[in-house]
Amino acid sequence: MEIFFQQLVNGLTIGSIYALVALGYTMVYGVLKLINFAHGDLVALSAYIGLVIIMQLMGALSPTILIIATFIITIIITAIGGVVLERAAYKPLRKAPRLSAVVSALGASMIIENGIMLIWGPMPRIFPASVVPNTNYNIHGVYISLMQVLVLIISFILMVALYLFVNRTKLGTAMRACAIDQDAARLMGINVDKVIVTTFVIGSALGAVGGLFIGMYYRGIYFNMGWIYGLNAFVAAIIGGIGNIPGAMLGGMLLGIFNAFIAGYVSSSWSLALTYVLLIVIMIFRPTGILGERVAEKV
Amino acid sequence: MMNTKNVLYYGIFLASLIILPFFLNSDWVSVMTTFLIYSVVSLSQDIVLGRAGMFDMGHAIFFGLGAYSTAILNMVYGWPILATVPVAIILPIIASVLLAAPIIHLRGDYLLVTTIGFNIVFTQALKNNVFGITGGPNGIFGVEPLKIFNFSLSSQMSIYYLAFFILLLTLITIHNLETSKPGRALHYLNLDSLASECIGINTRFYRLYAFALSAALAGLAGVVFTLQFSAVSPGAFNFIQSVLFFTIVLVGGPSSIPGVLLGTFFMFVVPEMFRQFAEARYLVFGVAMILIMIWRPKGIWPVKFGKIPSYLTKE
Repeated sequence: MEIFFQQLVNGLTIGSIYALVALGYTMVYGVLKLINFAHGDLVALSAYIGLVIIMQLMGALSPTILIIATFIITIIITAIGGVVLERAAYKPLRKAPRLSAVVSALGASMIIENGIMLIWGPMPRIFPASVVPNTNYNIHGVYISLMQVLVLIISFILMVALYLFVNRTKLGTAMRACAIDQDAARLMGINVDKVIVTTFVIGSALGAVGGLFIGMYYRGIYFNMGWIYGLNAFVAAIIGGIGNIPGAMLGGMLLGIFNAFIAGYVSSSWSLALTYVLLIVIMIFRPTGILGERVAEKV
Repeated sequence: MMNTKNVLYYGIFLASLIILPFFLNSDWVSVMTTFLIYSVVSLSQDIVLGRAGMFDMGHAIFFGLGAYSTAILNMVYGWPILATVPVAIILPIIASVLLAAPIIHLRGDYLLVTTIGFNIVFTQALKNNVFGITGGPNGIFGVEPLKIFNFSLSSQMSIYYLAFFILLLTLITIHNLETSKPGRALHYLNLDSLASECIGINTRFYRLYAFALSAALAGLAGVVFTLQFSAVSPGAFNFIQSVLFFTIVLVGGPSSIPGVLLGTFFMFVVPEMFRQFAEARYLVFGVAMILIMIWRPKGIWPVKFGKIPSYLTKE
């Protein structure tokens, strides 16, 4: 039973990270109906930026301020990166066939991935061990590290904040309107362009938090990790129902727990394959995801 | 329809491919052989993606199945290469129908994600050495050359002409497809699936038909790929390769044969030319992909279908 709870805690931690990254995919998909393949690489980039900031400021600041400063600076830089990405690669293709934007997204992903490799080299980089104190709490035989607690709490706060933003504010309402029908939203006087930029800012900022968590939790980061974390997060978004914000959170958690149990009880070499088997099964029986609504096709 | 001008252009293109290896050193003959093989795979991907309009991002599965069937049957069971060819064609067909049948109704992006899933499961299975015959992460080495009667096709040149031959077969197949009932059916269902169903086209059947045909061609290309390197490894058929084939079709121009060939050249041969710039080339490459899509959203060489008066096509 202890293994069960231990894997549940691990799964929830990974799941929160997946959920944060998945939100970026799902929000962009909701508004633009575009799979933002570059999002995963943006997440990887944010981990590298975070590492640079930590290495520069370590020792100069106290640990708490260091962590807060790292998060704020990384979020700002990654959000700017997200906006530049949208302006350069997606905005000129707003009216083009949908698949052209997919190719553009793949191109942007290549740029970021190889850019990271050119700047920081192809070898993995390691986050310093002592950024977050290595404290473990033992609750009836189940170990939770301080890092895991941080991941769970910060993710939870961010998700609640996002949920409130989307459902309670004017800009959030505009975002939901754009997701349903962009032309109608424009006719109602919504500045669609502003909404799209906001979507990319929020998506990239959440991705940056995810990237920093990956760096601090797993410690090893490598230039092409964007693909695998991005794909997993994307699968989480699909499982929950792409375009659906609570769906991405649920999908991320489910995927994290699923992965942890597979790694704990079956074998870790099959965990990736089984993740995608789960995805395929869900696609066959519930093509729009767990929380996705079945939309009748317009004729 | 082929008019005289097109026949002339294809004639020139094929003739230049025939004489090309005499002007290249062995490295470039090898690159061009892979170019021919990738062209076949991209043209087969185009049947599903460009002609039938299904977002298939797992095409490397069928390519890989063909390659692995030949390698496994030859190395583990000792079959001669020629005898493995029918298996390397039929197995991908069966796999494509079995995999596509439950998901064929999915809309665009969902199909894309599911096919990515299939591809990742496929490569993971190869890496984990299923049934102990796939050779694990390193793959299988030392596949025999193709023997026809007493001739052994092992030289670089002979593989090149073998690849050229399957490209020719593929071009003929696609030309026949374009001018036949299934080809027209695919074209209709791509433009408007509901309308084509209303005029009596069995869209489900023809979608599976497109998958099966393209899997057969990709499987055949896989055989030549195995022969070229006399080895197979999971890395050659992973999801990134599928992304490459997917991109080739869209960058070149969906359902346009010259477009797909040009796309293969641009996405595969051009990076080889800039090999000395090592890693930086892919950065430039990403920029080029974005710029091409911005300037030519329908591909470098978009397809032209007949002449419909513009007042009819305007929305």
